[in-house]
Amino acid sequence: MSTQKREPTPPGQATPVPVIEPGHTFASVTDQIGQIVLSRRTPTFWWVGFGISFLLMMALLASIGYLLLKGTGIWGINIPVGWGFAIINFVWWIGIGHAGTLISAILLLLRQEWRTSINRFAEAMTLFAVASAGLFPILHMGRPWLAYWLLPYPNTMALWPQWRSPLVWDVFAVSTYATVSALFWYIGLIPDLATLRDRARKKSFQIVYGMLALGWRGSAVHWHRYETAYLLLAGLATPLVISVHTVVSFDFTIAITPGWHSTIFPPYFVAGAIYAGFAMVLTLSIPLRKLYRLEGFITLRHLQNMAKILLATGLIVGYGYMIEAFMGWYSGVPSEGYVTTSRMLGPYRPAYWALIFCNILTPQALWFKKVRSTPGLLFIVAMVVNVGMWLERFVIVVTSLHRDFLPSSWGMYHGTMWDWSTFIGTIGLFLSLLFLFIRFLPMISIFEMRTLVPEAEVREEA
Amino acid sequence: MIDPAVSAGLRDAIARARRPALIAGLAGMIACAAGYFLAPAAFFPSYLFACMFCLGLALGCQAVLMLNHVTGGAWGIPIRRSLEAGTRTLPVVAALFLPLLPGLRSLYEWARPEDVAHDAILRHKQLYLNTGFFLARTVICFAAWMAFAFFLNRWSREQDERPTRGLSRRLQLLSSAGLVVYGLTITFFSIDWVMSLEPHWYSTMYGVLFIAGQALSGFAFVIALTVVLARYPPLSGFINRKHFHDLGKLMLAFVMFWAYVSFSQYLIIWAGNLPEEIPWYLRRLQGGWGWFGMALILFHFVLPFLLLLPATANRNPRILSSVALLVVFMRFVDVFWLVRPAATPGHFTLRWMDVAAPVGILGIWLFVFLGQLLRRPILPVNDPEFAAALEHGADGAH
Repeated sequence: MSTQKREPTPPGQATPVPVIEPGHTFASVTDQIGQIVLSRRTPTFWWVGFGISFLLMMALLASIGYLLLKGTGIWGINIPVGWGFAIINFVWWIGIGHAGTLISAILLLLRQEWRTSINRFAEAMTLFAVASAGLFPILHMGRPWLAYWLLPYPNTMALWPQWRSPLVWDVFAVSTYATVSALFWYIGLIPDLATLRDRARKKSFQIVYGMLALGWRGSAVHWHRYETAYLLLAGLATPLVISVHTVVSFDFTIAITPGWHSTIFPPYFVAGAIYAGFAMVLTLSIPLRKLYRLEGFITLRHLQNMAKILLATGLIVGYGYMIEAFMGWYSGVPSEGYVTTSRMLGPYRPAYWALIFCNILTPQALWFKKVRSTPGLLFIVAMVVNVGMWLERFVIVVTSLHRDFLPSSWGMYHGTMWDWSTFIGTIGLFLSLLFLFIRFLPMISIFEMRTLVPEAEVREEA
Repeated sequence: MIDPAVSAGLRDAIARARRPALIAGLAGMIACAAGYFLAPAAFFPSYLFACMFCLGLALGCQAVLMLNHVTGGAWGIPIRRSLEAGTRTLPVVAALFLPLLPGLRSLYEWARPEDVAHDAILRHKQLYLNTGFFLARTVICFAAWMAFAFFLNRWSREQDERPTRGLSRRLQLLSSAGLVVYGLTITFFSIDWVMSLEPHWYSTMYGVLFIAGQALSGFAFVIALTVVLARYPPLSGFINRKHFHDLGKLMLAFVMFWAYVSFSQYLIIWAGNLPEEIPWYLRRLQGGWGWFGMALILFHFVLPFLLLLPATANRNPRILSSVALLVVFMRFVDVFWLVRPAATPGHFTLRWMDVAAPVGILGIWLFVFLGQLLRRPILPVNDPEFAAALEHGADGAH
């Protein structure tokens, strides 16, 4: 099994690349994925990667500590730009999370079986991204220990959330989304946890995996209940994934700030979220499949399909930019027109044009099959899109705020060192969690991969 | 093996349906002609909304067809030929738009220089909203749509004549370019012909509303048609509950998408309550028009949503076709609600042209559409997905 061949994909060949490398059997699938977790030796690259991520996470800890000591004044925010990195990073991380749910829920409902080998770690990515995202609004409150005031509960202060504020909707949208994503991920893990429990040699592993597997024996009744629960959760997660970024877009559009109050925002934000998310899945899966030699499971077919989704969602995002710029002019409203020209020609124009380069121009390379089927090139495109989607949020948040209706309240905004260290720190948090995940849990769904093996096709042999 | 050609029974049934369509169409057109000369101010808005609905049917077919070519999927096989017949009606739809050209001055404030002179915003928009550029854009849009329809149909016929591997790939590439072009052209076409009826108003969602609406119009129409076609060979020997189930689920997704974009636009404009934006809704929610808004919520979203959610309904062709017909009718109501209030803002009145124009236009369109449907085999047997679609019905998998 360890002799991995690169699969042949001569351009122009009509037969599609398989979703699992030929030659795999039930046993080989279980062995190869299971041994990543159960083998005693932790590879060196894991220690290096985890070490760096852990250090970055410590930077986050230091930044938060200093923030709690000093208050949000250590960030670059001030009037007129009262929303800075915190909201940018929040939207960026939440968006990244969306691909996980899309892959696991929507592609499941659409019966796209190629999703199987990437759904597990994409879902894990969702959870860790939502965790990173959730930090920002709470830290931005200034007194994060009072975060529970956001919840409507009876209290003696006569305090009640403002239900017309989309920020309150956010609390519910994001927390529901996080809950359902966690449940979906955990339920999907149960049969695999049982496999690990049965195969683990060490007592401690047997006990931990055994407890996590919730007594799974793989009986027909178990499987029946499991399938029903999984399908129901997929049905629940699908509207949630749309609702979360829609509500995030309402954070902007419900306000009447020029450049934010735009009706296209809900679908355009959702498309942008999926776009960012698939870019991140590609960013992570391309090195992972190489390092753990998983090319037989995460095949070129997966990369190609993800590249196509990246291209399609990128075009929708481009449509959003186009129609916004057009309506900025067409509306004839001076402030709308001003925001549009200010983005393109004002002090933040480098960010705007870098964003156009990253999000609109670069992904056009994906029209070419050569790019879609070369992991190295795909990785570069995905990285560029990651940067581009961060810039997009920067441009939306900062350029709309920095020049108010009155020129007397104009001002510039730049992230401070603490802004950057918090942001990079959450990348450390995200990657640390991800490294722990791939070390201790099967990053590819073992039992679902087994259904792709030719042995699972019973119909022909009967 | 299935003989994909139009069977004799089907040919008779279609021929029987064509005659009343033609009679209704001609009668409606005669009434329209009377309206054109006697009451042009009433004629143009009604005729425009009927044209826009009809365009939605044809372009919706084309959008769904291209979507199927791009994404693949066996769900498109049983409806492929109906969709293609819809795209071949585009030249007729273009011809149906012609009587509107003398009415631009009557329809659009921006086409009247004396009004533009007094209005700063209209002067600002004159760079875009002027008759010459408007006509040029319309010609470009129709030319682009017809060019894509031409190649989509031509390559599909080549595939019928002899199975070629590369053709599906070519159709896929053509369709991905086609969807990009469609998205852009329909956006500007809808801004030009409908949004600019109220030239001060703007909304960035507008094009997406039309994309969602047209795709749903074409798709629901074709589903209702397919239930009828399924009574006759060759489709009767091919189609089964699972195909209907797929179509029903996809229609549910389209209904939800339409509701999602419509509600988002409403919520954002309601919450902003800006003088530039909210009048558009006020004109559509007062003086009787509000009933249309209410009907759209209930019968364009709630009822189809509840009916299409359970799998049993999707698999029952009778229920499916009733829902599809309801959706087509509500699409009609929606287009009416988008276009017509511009002529009588804030108070609803039903004019006789509101009946005559759609009867005329849809009668003619249906006559042409059914004629086109007869011209090609009902099933694309040489499509690489055909076997999968046939198998999809046969095997036990869900």
